[in-house]
Amino acid sequence: MQTINLSTHFKEALFIPEMKATSKEEALEELLDLFVEEKYVKDKHLVLDMLHQRERLGSTALGKGVAVPHGRTIATGDVIIAFGRSTTGVDFGADDGAPVTLFFMVIAPPNDEGNIYLPVLGSLVTILKDAKKRKKLNSIQTFDEFIAVINGE
Amino acid sequence: MGNKDLELLISLQDIDLMIEEAEEVEKLGFSITGCSELKIAREELAEKINKPLLYRYERLRGKLKRAIVPVKNDICLGCFLRQPTSVCAQGREGLDLFTCENCGRMLYWLD
Repeated sequence: MQTINLSTHFKEALFIPEMKATSKEEALEELLDLFVEEKYVKDKHLVLDMLHQRERLGSTALGKGVAVPHGRTIATGDVIIAFGRSTTGVDFGADDGAPVTLFFMVIAPPNDEGNIYLPVLGSLVTILKDAKKRKKLNSIQTFDEFIAVINGE
Repeated sequence: MGNKDLELLISLQDIDLMIEEAEEVEKLGFSITGCSELKIAREELAEKINKPLLYRYERLRGKLKRAIVPVKNDICLGCFLRQPTSVCAQGREGLDLFTCENCGRMLYWLD
């Protein structure tokens, strides 16, 4: 799998250190609203529908308090990631039953140049398998602190 | 080769790419339950395509990610080589299937 500089796919405007959502539905919408507000996504309902369909195929919660809702859509032109953290946790239908505190929403166009969508997902999963990084992500306060964890600093 | 075969081949490739990506995503640890249904749809579609053409497609897919690619402004979007004018003129009619002389991919015309 190709090497990816994951931090270039995050934007401060797509970062929520304290999510308000209390349900899966609200969490998806709260993260997606960031993309819409920042004009990374042209059609909110199209993307929301895609995300719901993806969740119906199987929850994108990976367990251990992590979820990575993801999918391809014609409503965007770039592979871009929003991060949100919920201090209370949200039931996202994870196999281990753990409430999700760390959310990474990955949106990609149908054909991304350089085929980076899967390597981006793969790099994220690798980071999120690391218990120390998950712990740090659960305690960061700022976007810079967040990027430092992603960069392994 | 009529437009119907071309449409079926493009759809088949779309499904194959979806299955491939779903399997990759599954390997990362995500659960996806619809893969088997996609594979059934793939087989149903493959049955509608004439066998020599399907065989040719599958051989190419074994070597290349995309076996059938569009041509835009006379350029093969698989390898970016310009196609001969005579090939483009016939290709646009959509009656025969052409392959790129450089990369061997099957071609269809967008313009």
